[in-house]
Amino acid sequence: MPKVKMPRSNPSLDMTPMVDLAFLLVTFFMLTSSFRTPEPVVVDPPTSTTKTEIPKQVFMITIDNQGRAFIDLTNPAVKSRVFEKVCNQSGIKVDSMTVKKFAGSGAIGLKITAIPQYLELEANERTKVNQTGVPYDTTGKKSELYWWAYYTRLEAHADFKAREEEAKTRKLPFDKSNYIQFAVKAASDAKYDAVKNVIQVFRDAKVKQFQMITGLESEPSLK
Amino acid sequence: MAQIQDNGGGGHGKGDKKRAKKQSTHVDMTPMVDLAFLLLTFFVLTSTFSKPKVLRMIFPEKLDENVKDQKAPEVKDGITLLLTANDKIYYYRGSLKPNTELIPIDYTRTGLRKVLVDYNADMLVKLQDIQKRMNKLDDKDTAAKRKLDEEVLNVQKASKQIVLVKNDEGATYRNMIDVMDEFMITQIAKYYVIDEGMAKLEVDLIKKQGK
Repeated sequence: MPKVKMPRSNPSLDMTPMVDLAFLLVTFFMLTSSFRTPEPVVVDPPTSTTKTEIPKQVFMITIDNQGRAFIDLTNPAVKSRVFEKVCNQSGIKVDSMTVKKFAGSGAIGLKITAIPQYLELEANERTKVNQTGVPYDTTGKKSELYWWAYYTRLEAHADFKAREEEAKTRKLPFDKSNYIQFAVKAASDAKYDAVKNVIQVFRDAKVKQFQMITGLESEPSLK
Repeated sequence: MAQIQDNGGGGHGKGDKKRAKKQSTHVDMTPMVDLAFLLLTFFVLTSTFSKPKVLRMIFPEKLDENVKDQKAPEVKDGITLLLTANDKIYYYRGSLKPNTELIPIDYTRTGLRKVLVDYNADMLVKLQDIQKRMNKLDDKDTAAKRKLDEEVLNVQKASKQIVLVKNDEGATYRNMIDVMDEFMITQIAKYYVIDEGMAKLEVDLIKKQGK
């Protein structure tokens, strides 16, 4: 009887395609993911049924349940310019290193005089600082928050114009909707009066439109 | 480490003859692949895809205090919502009188939404009619679509339903967003949030209700 020869199969698998895929995915996630900057306060916004997504660039005003206001800007270049202007306004001298640090610092809720000192700290020490919120409650005189709002509005407009000009000279398509907008992220249990007071400051600075950040809620029915 | 390669070597004589060791071309890729998957898992778990949603609010510019002749929005048959502490909400129809009865409601579908849907019934019918016609339209027919969009705007402009919102110091931000959201859902075109909050009489009436 002739021997039946079983084909000898190689036990080692070719893993190359799998590894290729794994690296492809790693690259994809590395490039698309953006890291959240550490926030000084965690705020739980209320929910709504709206489906509009947050604009690309925002000046974020965070209001926690004690009424403290924190500010942040998604565009680092504009953020540093606004910072310089506000410092100038309050008569504080800052070097370019501090401005650079500020641009990458995430949300801040401090008096302008306390900010340079805060920026000197290491990232893990910053979280320990008890932030008092940007002051906005000075009656009569313009508050610090007012100047932040005022200069952001001006710089947002300048930034928009500059990008429009650049797109024109280089004959590139221009995204008109990409305008730095004002977003409010307030804690759901914050008092409305506190939110109103903050918004009032922005209205004084001639900011009229706000994007109120909310969580998602299910589809409504009218019945 | 030296490795003994026992894989023949062509037809050369074995044994005494010394020959160059053949280096294996295989590299052990396991650690690299391990690392790749570790990174992959990390990025998959940490990345957030859903962007936060926003509710747009437009606040009118502050009125000039020097101008005396400022008209408050008229409320002949309007609804006034009073937001107060502990997620309580009251409403009344028409203008405020000392004997006005405040009706307590809540933020649910059977409370606030029902009141607003009943109040805005005419406009909802009109808008639903437009929506039906919109659905029948061909996707490419942009001219007709624009016409219908304009019609929606006209209906909203002609709306006689006015809602005023007032709050006291107890009302939370969530209450206000809930109310705004209900306005969007029930298509209330004209609503005003009163900066000054509640009038004295309204506060008193709520106090009376609470007892």
